[in-house]
Amino acid sequence: MENLEPGTLVTIVTILVTGIGVAIGMIVPSLMEGHAAVKALESIARQPDAANQIRTTMIIAMALIETSNIYVLLVMLVLLFANPLVTRFFGG
Amino acid sequence: MNVLTHPIAFYLLGLPVRSTVVMTWILMVVIVLLVLLIKKTNPAILETIIEFILNIVGDVLNVDNLYPYLSLLGSLFIFLISANLLSLLPGLTSPTADLNTTIALSLIVFFSVHYFGMLKKGVWGYLKTVADPIFLLPLEVIGQISRSVALALRLFGNIMSGDLIVAIIFSIVPLIVPLPLITLSMVTGVVQAYIFITLATLYIASAVEISQADEDGRKTRKKLFRRKEVTNGKS
Repeated sequence: MENLEPGTLVTIVTILVTGIGVAIGMIVPSLMEGHAAVKALESIARQPDAANQIRTTMIIAMALIETSNIYVLLVMLVLLFANPLVTRFFGG
Repeated sequence: MNVLTHPIAFYLLGLPVRSTVVMTWILMVVIVLLVLLIKKTNPAILETIIEFILNIVGDVLNVDNLYPYLSLLGSLFIFLISANLLSLLPGLTSPTADLNTTIALSLIVFFSVHYFGMLKKGVWGYLKTVADPIFLLPLEVIGQISRSVALALRLFGNIMSGDLIVAIIFSIVPLIVPLPLITLSMVTGVVQAYIFITLATLYIASAVEISQADEDGRKTRKKLFRRKEVTNGKS
């Protein structure tokens, strides 16, 4: 570890953090989206008349849940492709 | 690898013009020509499209006349669907895979929400309903900003990640294997256009509609205040 240059070390840590962060950040919203879909399907089965309204509301809710997913993805992409630490301290 | 920024196509009066802007211009020309062509040959298709958008908007927005909102929301929908699907053609990139385009679109939605609200209720009447108890104003401002940012980032993230995944798989296995992912990105594009329109309609509805709960709340609050004044006067 001591033999590595600081830039290399930052890159290695960034890649590790990105992998773990994407895994965690994708698991939780996906679980919650599945939960929303299950609930919507149950209520459609119980009340087929209101299927259209339930579907619209479910899609909106899922889009809102997916926003946190997208935030994680954007943060990880910034870390990978435009890392502020690397460009600031080690000149790219 | 360029994900967050796009290559500069040319300079216009010293300002850099990115390739996604050129794509937007191509798209504008194509859409206008296509609409003129359909109008001349088969106008029934245009009617079907307008009916479809009216259905989407009418599900969320409960007002008597939908047509003032149709020009904004309909053109957003048509533009978004064709922009999200533009990256299917080889050599072209989606304009919405650029953060600048989506931020511009969400700014349009942000200002038009307030414009429609003021048009419906009058300037002072709208400003009164923005923050009903005045101490909720900071929360309301934060909510307005964060939902506009989320609107832009959601569209950008979805379209960009779809394109990126297809590009990565294509660089590993170029034959047949990317096809399911391309299908997924097509579905995502259409659904994201639908969601963008639905959310924009929802925001406009929250600015335009005078809900029964608001009216009732204001009345009961006035009654409570009056009762308090009466009891204060008695004591």
